[in-house]
Amino acid sequence: MPFTALNSRMVEAHITPGQRMFSQRGAMLAYRGEVSFTPNIQGGQGGIGSMIGRRIAGEATPLMTVEGSGTVMFGHGGHHVHVVDLTGETLFVEADRLLAFDGSLEQGTMFMGSQGGVMGMVRGQVTGQGLFTTTLRGHGSAAVMAHGGVIELPVTPQRPVHVDPQAYVAHRGEIRNKLSAALGWREFVGRGSGEAFQLELSGQGTVYVQASEEKL
Amino acid sequence: MTGPVIHDVQTLPADDNVNPYAFSVALDGQWFLQKGKMIAYYGQIDFQGIGHGRLDRLIAGSFHSPLHATDWVVAEGRGKMLLADRAFDVNSFDLEDGNLTIRSGNLLAFQPSLSLKQSIIPGFLTLIGTGKFVAASNGPVVFVEPPIRVDPQALVGWADCPSPCHHYDHQYLRGFLGGLRAHTGIGGVSGEEHQFEFVGAGTVLLQSTEALMPELETGAVPDEAGVPGGGGQAAQSGSQLPQLPGGLGGLQRRFGL
Repeated sequence: MPFTALNSRMVEAHITPGQRMFSQRGAMLAYRGEVSFTPNIQGGQGGIGSMIGRRIAGEATPLMTVEGSGTVMFGHGGHHVHVVDLTGETLFVEADRLLAFDGSLEQGTMFMGSQGGVMGMVRGQVTGQGLFTTTLRGHGSAAVMAHGGVIELPVTPQRPVHVDPQAYVAHRGEIRNKLSAALGWREFVGRGSGEAFQLELSGQGTVYVQASEEKL
Repeated sequence: MTGPVIHDVQTLPADDNVNPYAFSVALDGQWFLQKGKMIAYYGQIDFQGIGHGRLDRLIAGSFHSPLHATDWVVAEGRGKMLLADRAFDVNSFDLEDGNLTIRSGNLLAFQPSLSLKQSIIPGFLTLIGTGKFVAASNGPVVFVEPPIRVDPQALVGWADCPSPCHHYDHQYLRGFLGGLRAHTGIGGVSGEEHQFEFVGAGTVLLQSTEALMPELETGAVPDEAGVPGGGGQAAQSGSQLPQLPGGLGGLQRRFGL
């Protein structure tokens, strides 16, 4: 568990030699010890191939590699920070919401259309995720940013959860999500409730929701 | 389910936070506060702009840099006074015969038993003495002990430390590829090349984000040679040679000229 939450907006990470960590560029607030921050052209792990993949997918957030020995404090833009510990599951999150994550996590890119086809792509547009999202798999921790505090909502097969697409932060586990549109004649005459689109998450896992409808 | 807490003059805390964003001062005498940071008060309190005759002695005792005194007001009287600043986190700190240097925009209010001075470092103010002061920060304040290197934008202030110095992390710009990177900008920068380094005994105050609070004018420093930030003789770099225009001066230095 390399991340320790110092307060709602700041985490501290312990870096030991030989263990890498990735963080968003410019998100370091302070550090102790001998730690180096190297801009990472590839935008994360893998070689040139992964880099091109991420560029095309629009998931190439400028990252830096953090190496050395010491402790580093991260925080960014006044956003709330939530630490997610992964033990073998997969976390689905937008790359620009990732404040920092362990180098031990396997980073990947997922095409939204692979979950739900065309509707998945529409969903990506509505949630602001775009057509692709970043996945982190393995054992380790990730610090995720959100506007306002983060609420964890468990999802079980019997209890699907509906989430406002703008308040959706991330999810993990075996979750199917689909966009449910409750469009009626009211929406077309401009008398809608403002909640026409919802994300329906079903399966087994956890969904992270922020206490705000503001995007990062 | 509890409803909202309703405060009155008795239940408002005395010299403590009402919530993370508002601070209640039990006023009996005088306090200095930044203009426009009072949001409400109970009791009889007068707010006097600084520079009026009656308060001249007080100002002389507590304000050693009268040049920026116009940004401050004196609250005088008895009662409870609430302070807040645009929903930033507010904290109070006690100094006991100590000193604390703080970014000018972050200081909200202080007791007149403290004296406020301009720091040698431009944009910072130093409080010396014994008393309480209230400071705002973007996100909660974190206290750390040196040795530590701090992102310049995350620094709120420091207490009892020797002055910070600049620290540059340029390891990744070394070597051939590094040089190529430094000159062409290919590969980008980490944004963490520059830190403030603190060593020695003391406490460093950090805010939780890199979003700075707006600066407050600290006033000009006297126009004297040897005063950093002063308008006096511009500091000559060691070289007496005429400097090449543009960025070529750096090149000159690189070749040892």
